[in-house]
Amino acid sequence: MTSEMASEPGLPVEIGRIDKELGKLWEASDDTKTRASLINLVVYSEKEASLSSNTEVISAIAGKHACRAILIVANPTAKESGARAWISAHCRLQKLGQRQICSEQITFRLDGASAGALPNIVFSHLDSDLPLCMWWQEDFPEPLDEKLWAWVDRLIYDSSTWMHPKHQFLLMRHLSSSGAKGTVLCDLNWTRLHAWRFGLAGMFDHAEAFPRLNRVESLRVVCAPGQNTAALLLIGWFASRLGWTPLERADAFITPLGGRVSFKIEGKAGPHVSLFSVRCEDAHFELELKEGAGFFETTIHAPGIPESHQLLPAPNPKLEETLLAELSRSGRHPLYTQAIDIVLPLINR
Amino acid sequence: MSTEQQTFNPLREGLASKAMPDPCTLVIFGATGDLTHRKLVPALYNLAADGVLPPAISVVGFARRDKSDEIFRVELEEAARKFSRQGINDGLWNSFASSIHYHRSPFDNLDGYESLASRLDELDAARGTRGNRLFYLAASPDQFEVILENLRKSGLNEAKPGSWARVIVEKPFGTDLPSARRLNDLVEKAFDEAQTYRIDHYLGKETAQNIMVLRFANALFEAMWNSRYIDHVQITASEPLGVEGRAGYYDKSGALRDMVQNHLLQLLCLTAMEPPAGLDADSVRDEKVKVLRSLRPLVGKDVFKHVVRAQYGEGAINGKPVAAYRNELNVNPGSVTETYVALEVNVDNWRWAGVPFFIRVGKRLAKGGTEIAVHFKSVPPVLFRATGESIDDNVLVIRIQPDEGISLRMSAKMPGSSLRIEPVKMDFHYGTSFGKATPEAYERLLLDAMSGDPTLFARRDEVEEAWKFVDAIHTAWNTRSDDLAFHESGTWGPAEADELIKRHGGAWRRL
Repeated sequence: MTSEMASEPGLPVEIGRIDKELGKLWEASDDTKTRASLINLVVYSEKEASLSSNTEVISAIAGKHACRAILIVANPTAKESGARAWISAHCRLQKLGQRQICSEQITFRLDGASAGALPNIVFSHLDSDLPLCMWWQEDFPEPLDEKLWAWVDRLIYDSSTWMHPKHQFLLMRHLSSSGAKGTVLCDLNWTRLHAWRFGLAGMFDHAEAFPRLNRVESLRVVCAPGQNTAALLLIGWFASRLGWTPLERADAFITPLGGRVSFKIEGKAGPHVSLFSVRCEDAHFELELKEGAGFFETTIHAPGIPESHQLLPAPNPKLEETLLAELSRSGRHPLYTQAIDIVLPLINR
Repeated sequence: MSTEQQTFNPLREGLASKAMPDPCTLVIFGATGDLTHRKLVPALYNLAADGVLPPAISVVGFARRDKSDEIFRVELEEAARKFSRQGINDGLWNSFASSIHYHRSPFDNLDGYESLASRLDELDAARGTRGNRLFYLAASPDQFEVILENLRKSGLNEAKPGSWARVIVEKPFGTDLPSARRLNDLVEKAFDEAQTYRIDHYLGKETAQNIMVLRFANALFEAMWNSRYIDHVQITASEPLGVEGRAGYYDKSGALRDMVQNHLLQLLCLTAMEPPAGLDADSVRDEKVKVLRSLRPLVGKDVFKHVVRAQYGEGAINGKPVAAYRNELNVNPGSVTETYVALEVNVDNWRWAGVPFFIRVGKRLAKGGTEIAVHFKSVPPVLFRATGESIDDNVLVIRIQPDEGISLRMSAKMPGSSLRIEPVKMDFHYGTSFGKATPEAYERLLLDAMSGDPTLFARRDEVEEAWKFVDAIHTAWNTRSDDLAFHESGTWGPAEADELIKRHGGAWRRL
């Protein structure tokens, strides 16, 4: 990581004067701008290149989910310690001729020992009384700083980017059961699977399809290379819903009726997950997402069910759309923690 | 009647924060009408595109005109492209359209219902809709009777074991109390109250739903939501439009029946009701009915003291001249139908004793908008008297449409060495904070009916209590018509309405 930003991410300000400078920013704008905020969104990354991509994501979501964004780029291993800050705003025109709605962004660069001041940096620049969503873009450090995590309302991360998923999932499970249990775990990898879960559930609504869930023999999931965690989470969800238990040393589950269900994950270039196939003795259910398609295709071959081929809406795969989808949801994600319990013994086999 | 038992699909559990709609077939009576094209099918498409409909959904249009499934789909696609809040994706539309069918039959032909039953069985088998049926009465109200009777005679109202049958009844729910009771009796012969969903699209609007959240999720407001702190409440629904081709219906109905009996009394109920015991449908509706039962009846001479009716005359809207109501096409030139009504309503219970609710609704007014404005009492005129400053009362405004939001007017000191007090407004706009498009009211209501949640639908006793209140006013109006006032189009109503609120010491809000 270089010590200089490629380009200035806003107006440079002294850290102690951020609030005053933000006030000036709004005073200087004419009456056509309105500041809006629903949440504090803190984004933490240790990758220099993330700054511009994260700024783009925040700019895209601010139009639909007003927030105070605090972007932190840290380099804890830098020899020299230092902290710098910039302020900027993302504005969108509500309708032609109407006022602009603006969200604030505060960007921090923390080098060396200053990276240890993260809790203070976060706490001292939050928009008071609004929920704190923290988007952590690195593997989680150990030991977890529970003073920091305890204040986070929603912890956002993407397990598809983890270097050591098994260890990280264990940390998350610990976090959800520890002092920070008020924190809602929001895995973007799981969010991307929402439409998959919805589509799969829909395929088994048919009165002739539903009983076959007790007679599943095998699952096959096709995912992009390196996206095994997504495939495992989907399988974990399916298995947890049906009460299956993972077998040791085999890619298979035991059903509550004593049946054996094998599963297979295949890698293929394309969407993060492109196929989920369920086979029973006499039936076959498939949900497929082709590269670049805006919808899933469902295929059902089963006696008693007319051959059907349907299209279902698929989510926009852009990162900002996934983040927006997550921010728009409320409550906890209990199915996620249940899926993790199934997935943990299956990782790194 | 239905056993309303749902076969459990464990994959559905926890997928959404609210109940998922069951696989079902929606049968629309009056499928070639405006409502189907402008509202229902665009709403269904949006639900499908948002991924909240289960794949096993069928839509069957039932109407008299001769047409094929294909032609019906083409017509609906054209309407969806025009009226949907989001763009139409060809692939998704084609997939959704494959679930749409057309069933031709006159409403009064029992054979048509029997053949519909066979067709629905075939669709259940083909699409896995499990025998669940939702019948939507979107036809002209004078057809409701024959449709309901034939649904009963053909046995379509009876759900098979493990399935359900429900009916959605569009407004108007009658034209007065006797006709509403007759309609309700007819519905009841075919469907239980639990299977009946009386639609009032105002209740499907996000801001109407937010009234309960604002009141009961914020200690700040609820503590002051009573006669000790509130001076009066104004509920306004104004529109610059005239009768716009609805003259035939409107001239028989008028503003009181068309808007007050349903939409505005529902808003009044949400504003005035006590906290319900729970969020289930009956707990909420029980509290609304209590408000309607607490309305002080307006009868006889009181009607002319507390209600102002008026008609729009010639004038201008957005700078363009418009005709008087009596000169509109298909309006009786001697019509005494009110296009504007203002009422002073009292809710006789402990919470609201002495707090009038002023309701006004009108066509051809200066500006369109629906809002509830809660006017708080003045502070004692003691502290700032010497300064000569007048202090405006606090007003909390809940804007239902357009530009949904909430604002609070309060007083603040103007910066400077002298004490000068000015009103300032704290404003919350839905569109500002929540950039995403809010679903149309019909989307929410269709989804709720498919999910079996009747909270946002009117119950029989609500409808009948509202008619009881409104009928008494009509009874008085029928004795004379010299009280009918007139106002110029494009203004804020007649002077008589200004007088009505002025007697209380207030003035209508300028939207």
